[in-house]
Amino acid sequence: MTALPEGLEQSFTVAAGELGMACAAWLFVENVAREAGDAGVGALRDALGRPFPVLDAVAAQWLAGARALNTDPSRLLAAVEGSAGLVVVGLEAFFLDVLVARLPPDTRCALLCHSPFDVDWERVLSNYGGRVEPVNLESFQAWAGPRSVLLTFAYGVGGHSANVLPAWVRATGEDVRTQFRALMAWDVLPAPMFVYPRWLVEVDAASFTHLFQA
Amino acid sequence: MPPRPPHERHVPSSAISSFIEPERVEALLAPWLPDAQDRAFVVRCMLGEGPAHHRGANYVLLTLLGRVLEHLPPLDSVPAPMGEPIEVPMRLPPHLAKASEPKSYPLRLPSQPLEQLAPRGSRPFEAMVDCLTDGPPQHALSNVAMVTLLTEILSRLERGGRT
Repeated sequence: MTALPEGLEQSFTVAAGELGMACAAWLFVENVAREAGDAGVGALRDALGRPFPVLDAVAAQWLAGARALNTDPSRLLAAVEGSAGLVVVGLEAFFLDVLVARLPPDTRCALLCHSPFDVDWERVLSNYGGRVEPVNLESFQAWAGPRSVLLTFAYGVGGHSANVLPAWVRATGEDVRTQFRALMAWDVLPAPMFVYPRWLVEVDAASFTHLFQA
Repeated sequence: MPPRPPHERHVPSSAISSFIEPERVEALLAPWLPDAQDRAFVVRCMLGEGPAHHRGANYVLLTLLGRVLEHLPPLDSVPAPMGEPIEVPMRLPPHLAKASEPKSYPLRLPSQPLEQLAPRGSRPFEAMVDCLTDGPPQHALSNVAMVTLLTEILSRLERGGRT
């Protein structure tokens, strides 16, 4: 059996918090594959797949032949055109990086600083040079308005449901849903979950006004 | 299926969502909401959010008002004068409402028909505005959409009566 370094679970937890579960999973899978090939990816999946179902799904995608994330934000950018504010719920750094880089300068962007992991939000936000502003569950509604959009990342859309971070459910109550022009999801894991999707919650896919597949 | 007695009339919510055609109401409101994203937002608030029976009732009432409009010859300029439109406020939580800029929905309440009921600026007028624009958005925006259509209907009827 392929030996993996000690402390992978701890390091993945840090990476998942500050990069997002899907981006951290791709980073780990790519690096393990480089060092130990598919056998290493299989071992990684066995070791961390149950506690981190997104990593499990990404490893399964890799073993099925997938080799790259599709972070193209073009369709999403077209949908947010004309927006004054974009509030992002959840973090997937590779996706957010390309989105923020191409966001029109007159569209303000905020990140809801809420995560199932411990996150150094100051460090995360420093990557965006002030372009992304921090908000929390108490303050994000100040961004509401007829030109404002809420966006989250989805982790697999199957049938009529999608997996999202718990923060999305807490943020999008009945009061909030009618205060933002659009409620969008960007599916960063176009693959079925094989294990129980812990850390995530299932919502009705029809509850989004827009759903984009990576 | 035989009709049910009134007290046993509840139907599954899927039966309600199946008769709602949002695009029909979007088309109806296009003269007052020319921006497609504004239109989709307002129509979602009225027909896609809140309790199912409100969504269905909003759809039926708006569509019937649309049917009335279809039977009235259009004015030279559509939409009809609305008077001085009144904003429909977005109700933010108290701790944010004072700190941030006031937000409003894209659809505004026509003052013109209300001025037929009470002088603008009078207490009854202000109370009518409050009644029509308060409450959850599926109520407030539907009230405003209906007053908007009624404004157009009344204008067409008045024009028809004069010619």
